[in-house]
Amino acid sequence: MDAYDDAGGLEEPPAPEPDAPSGAGIASLSLPYQVVAAVALAVVGVLACAHLAMVFLHVAPSNTLTKRHGEAVDDWVYPEFEQNWKLFAPNPLQQNVSVQVRAQVAPADGSRRTTGWIDLSAQDAEAIRGSLVPSHTEQNELRRAWDFYLNSHTDDHRPNGLRGTLSESYLRRIVMLRLEGQRLGGTVERIQLRQTVRAVPAPPWSTERTDAAPAHRELPWWRVGPADLPGAAQENRTEEAR
Amino acid sequence: MNAPSASPDPGRHVQHVRRVRREDGREPLDRRLGRAVQRVTASALGPYQTAIVRIGVSLTWLLFLLRELPHRHELYGPDGPWSWEMGRQLIADNDAFTALMWSDGRLWFEIVYALAVLSAALLLLGWRTRAVSVVFMVGVLSLQNRSVFVGDGGDNVLHLLAIYLVLTRCGQVWSLDARRAAREARAAAHGEARDEANEDAHGLPPRRDVVGPLLWTVLGGFLLAATAFADVTGSVWLVVLLWVLWLGQALWWLVCRFTPGEPRTLLDVLANLAHNGALVVMMAEVCLIYATAGWYKIQGSRWQDGTALYYPLHLDYFTPWPALSDLLASSGVMVMVLTYGTVLVQVAFPFALFNRRVKNVLLVAMMLEHAGIAVLLGLPLFSLAMISADAVFLPTAFLVWLGARVGRGRDRLLSRLLPRRYGGRVPEQRRTGGENTPRTLVG
Repeated sequence: MDAYDDAGGLEEPPAPEPDAPSGAGIASLSLPYQVVAAVALAVVGVLACAHLAMVFLHVAPSNTLTKRHGEAVDDWVYPEFEQNWKLFAPNPLQQNVSVQVRAQVAPADGSRRTTGWIDLSAQDAEAIRGSLVPSHTEQNELRRAWDFYLNSHTDDHRPNGLRGTLSESYLRRIVMLRLEGQRLGGTVERIQLRQTVRAVPAPPWSTERTDAAPAHRELPWWRVGPADLPGAAQENRTEEAR
Repeated sequence: MNAPSASPDPGRHVQHVRRVRREDGREPLDRRLGRAVQRVTASALGPYQTAIVRIGVSLTWLLFLLRELPHRHELYGPDGPWSWEMGRQLIADNDAFTALMWSDGRLWFEIVYALAVLSAALLLLGWRTRAVSVVFMVGVLSLQNRSVFVGDGGDNVLHLLAIYLVLTRCGQVWSLDARRAAREARAAAHGEARDEANEDAHGLPPRRDVVGPLLWTVLGGFLLAATAFADVTGSVWLVVLLWVLWLGQALWWLVCRFTPGEPRTLLDVLANLAHNGALVVMMAEVCLIYATAGWYKIQGSRWQDGTALYYPLHLDYFTPWPALSDLLASSGVMVMVLTYGTVLVQVAFPFALFNRRVKNVLLVAMMLEHAGIAVLLGLPLFSLAMISADAVFLPTAFLVWLGARVGRGRDRLLSRLLPRRYGGRVPEQRRTGGENTPRTLVG
């Protein structure tokens, strides 16, 4: 354990000398109790090693073992020990992705009107600027919901399974919550989202050239249902209860 | 144990013993193995390190919950964008642990959030540490698993450490528990002395602990609920773990009360084993974090050409102070030094553990880098969580020194704020602070 000490810097109160009876530890127990303690030591050792091996395989790149036993690793790690430490790796994100929305609004006079693009990510950035402790609602909510949408959809906007459909209604609910504060002059009937990607220009000292033109990607128009409005879940439930 | 020793006597003794062993050859393997087994069964290693991790993790989570208090409904509430029903569908699929699925009512949500805040504050203080650490873990998992899409790396670190902390004896020092234990030990010693002086007089009976059993009963009620709702609580193994812990507490109480001696020593051994196992896992986890972060970066072209740091400094979501970011990003050499330095430190850290001095240098570098990230990238709680995790590798000598400094500062503050109450008692206060810290080679 001396090596451990040097490594971890965990000096202990002077450890009892090996053969001196100390009133604690496995040495002070009688044989039957010692057997229990030894079994416990083995169990703890095996569990710790197994856990670390599983977590290691989880964070390691796909390899011989994970190709063969990937399911066992996933079963062990998900959902409570999931982890992703590829922070800014292998490369940091080199583009600003902003999520924008426009809405089809029905004013009281029966006409239809389409708003201009509203940049929700720019609102987030505005809120973050000058903030010592940005909120998860500003820094993560929309940004990660958008990633969630992209990861759970095919390139032609088809959802893959449950996560895909959930991500769509999650986005709709976030957007409707955001639009609530904007005066759009009527009921929002449909919304359309798009992402605008702008590459971060290469550093001034670099000879690389970056394409500065923003790239857009539009999603289809979505109809807004009562379930997409803020607070809708509560009302639905109270109706069900009646 | 090659740290400079402030109390020379035990240090010299150890050195002497070691010299004797070296003279008659290397100690046989079985003796060394036996000594190691004795050590991991007899004591819960790293009392200061686990305590600082406990304090760091609970402080981070407490600050987070208070920061998001105005946004709690939007992030985790039943009517937030990620609605209760959506959460239910996802959890039915991924089987994550959360108590928030027991009811979609707003009241239940408020209760869980309040309990999460309360448990974080109590864990920070080290009040009934083991029981509170369990409530803390349930709070962390319940909220985070309810809305997995609002978290980031900081939440991930807290999630893991909250689970590991439950298995440690993280309240041995710097806690209300340690203070109570010291007080009881003092009272017991006092009682014995009096008994010897006067055979007829009985020492005061040890104070009956009412709070402990009460807490145990209340938590038992929650545990029954968790079992009744097992199909929506998720992670069955966690519910089993909760039962084991709960029954273990009862066993501990019974054994202490009725059969002290060997059964009690055995339970102590088991608790030490769980603690030491969890401590090793926590340390390895930190190494895995840095190894993963570092080794994947090596493969990235931007980390190779020395411009990687430039890019996050120009992302809208991570530039709370654009002028500051621009200033740092304006120097190509500076960006490259920091970019290479980051990779170097992260890759090297696990190997640096074999050398105490190098380990400490890298540890300081990493903590400073996280402090920088906190401000520059606007990720203070992520950084605080990472620093808390790193703290498991801080040297005991530094932690003891830090504890003494903080204790003195607290006493000075109290005597200034409440001169009437504490004015005349500062020296005594100082002493009670010191008693919490068991003597070590360096202390």
